[in-house]
Amino acid sequence: MGKNILEFKHVGKRYDENVVLRDINFGVEAGKFYTLLGPSGSGKTTILRIIAGFDQASSGEVLFDGQRINDVPANQRQVNTVFQDYALFPHMNVAENVAFGLQIKGVKKTVIQQRVKEALHLVRLDGYGERAITAMSGGQRQRVAIARAIVNRPKVLLLDEALSALDHKLRVDMQRELRQLQRQLGITFIFVTHDQEEALAMSDQIMIINDGRIQQTGTPVDIYDEPLNHFVADFIGESNIVPGVMKKDYVVNINGQDFECVDAGMKPNEKVEVVIRPEDLDITTVDKGELKATVDTQLFRGVDYQITAHDQREHEWKINSIHKTTVGAQVGIVFDPEDIHVMRYNESEEDFDARLDSYEEDED
Amino acid sequence: MKRKVAWGKVYLGLVFVILYAPILYLMIFSFSSGKTMERYHGFSFQHYADLFADSRMITIVINTVLVAVLASLIATIVGTLGALAIKESRGAWRNSLLSLNNVLMVSPDVIIGASFLIFFTVLGIRLGFISVLLSHIAFSIPIVVLMVLPKINELSPTLVDAAYDLGATRWQALSRVILPAISPGIIAGYFMALTYSLDDFAVTFFVTGNGFSTLSVEIYSRARQGVNLEINALSTLMFLVSLALVIGYYFVSKHAGRRQRVVAVKEGDAQ
Repeated sequence: MGKNILEFKHVGKRYDENVVLRDINFGVEAGKFYTLLGPSGSGKTTILRIIAGFDQASSGEVLFDGQRINDVPANQRQVNTVFQDYALFPHMNVAENVAFGLQIKGVKKTVIQQRVKEALHLVRLDGYGERAITAMSGGQRQRVAIARAIVNRPKVLLLDEALSALDHKLRVDMQRELRQLQRQLGITFIFVTHDQEEALAMSDQIMIINDGRIQQTGTPVDIYDEPLNHFVADFIGESNIVPGVMKKDYVVNINGQDFECVDAGMKPNEKVEVVIRPEDLDITTVDKGELKATVDTQLFRGVDYQITAHDQREHEWKINSIHKTTVGAQVGIVFDPEDIHVMRYNESEEDFDARLDSYEEDED
Repeated sequence: MKRKVAWGKVYLGLVFVILYAPILYLMIFSFSSGKTMERYHGFSFQHYADLFADSRMITIVINTVLVAVLASLIATIVGTLGALAIKESRGAWRNSLLSLNNVLMVSPDVIIGASFLIFFTVLGIRLGFISVLLSHIAFSIPIVVLMVLPKINELSPTLVDAAYDLGATRWQALSRVILPAISPGIIAGYFMALTYSLDDFAVTFFVTGNGFSTLSVEIYSRARQGVNLEINALSTLMFLVSLALVIGYYFVSKHAGRRQRVVAVKEGDAQ
């Protein structure tokens, strides 16, 4: 565990009557890639703007390197931002844009030239210095914006929906490059996005934000495999969420049928929600299936078939299978105990983590 | 279809002939050796010689240009800052500021001129260069605001955030990012104010007083005694100067346009 470079303590934000953030608490370790993930209007961009200093927290404390920075203006923070629309200065060429921050700080001309050259090299734009901003493509502008931010050697780099204006192929390329750049520079990145694939692909840590609250924090694998609540399970990836009853530890009842699972630590007969990812379900013959269902639709998506089916209790199941079936066919659905993830209603993140720790220790 | 196009051209030609005929008529007679415009008396530069010998007229031309250049310069500075302030203001306050600005644009010059006359008289300011300059600045400011404000509205708000983010102070953000980015609007506002100031008659007429005059007021007062062909000569010169300015502006903007087209092509390549 490194030390926290940035910390939010009970931060709230309201505009007049409108509450945007409620009691946000988190710590950011130096040198890692963090992603704030949430739907639009969830408050994730507000968190970024509070870190950058463009907005002030209405309550709570923001600490940077252990110092309270609530009242430090944006231009004195050791943080730089890559904006969603890049916000490049249209009257300056590429090199002038990148040099802007250094010029403001009064760095020597020869040093500026050297560092601008290095920064452009890092984003693979060697030789583009004299170009006008209008002569650059979307992806190139994106790189200029990144170069302009990292040339100042900030301790934390903020990226606000930085890739959302690019087309899909370019975006995937840039994801890889950004991740590589972050490792190379060792700067803490805080990336804001509403794109869950992007978040899963790039991050060390993801913070899921909804309705002004942090819903869950964790590694991409943790969040995908062990979502805390309905919102997270639904927002990250595709999922089948069905109501169930926890009979006892490691046994959950769905639709009156008992299944073995790997979750524990709940009250006997507690009502729960069960999450099974569509790719964990597979189609088989009726007699081999754990559940029996009728196929409603089937879409071929290249890598697999996206199938929807309903069981005898009219629950709809999403199944991603590499095996083809036919619409209207009676099929069996199979899955393994470890594919089942059980979520309690209204469980806090602390309780969730404690519960997981308690029975995972038992297993060890 | 072809017929329609032809009629359109005829109509267009007719409009231009009607628009330019009086000016052409006036220009031709500036080269006449006669004293009136009743008949053409044969070619002569007599009226031009008279004009350059008329030191009062030359003084007035210089005064007019001086007032216009100074007034539009000051109005540009005040108007640009005003537009920035309007952009910063919020809600009802912003709307009222904008409306107050627009009321000045649409209210008749005669009313503005008369109210300035009363204003200066009450304050005890002597009518002359200063009163004309002040009133020209005043009526030019709303013009500048109207030219600059759309450019400010076009600016992405993140541009200013980006400047702060990179360490700029408020002043540096203004001088290095905002002002250069809106400079086309500022320049347009300046030239608009310049033309308004150069040919203003109504407001100026009220506040000139004795001993100071601008071109439009002077021509008006001379015309009342029967048009002297010296005025024709002056008008011809002014027309040629403005024609040269328009052609110059055309070439400058065409050059800029070509550069932008090159840029557009490059952008296509880059994709």
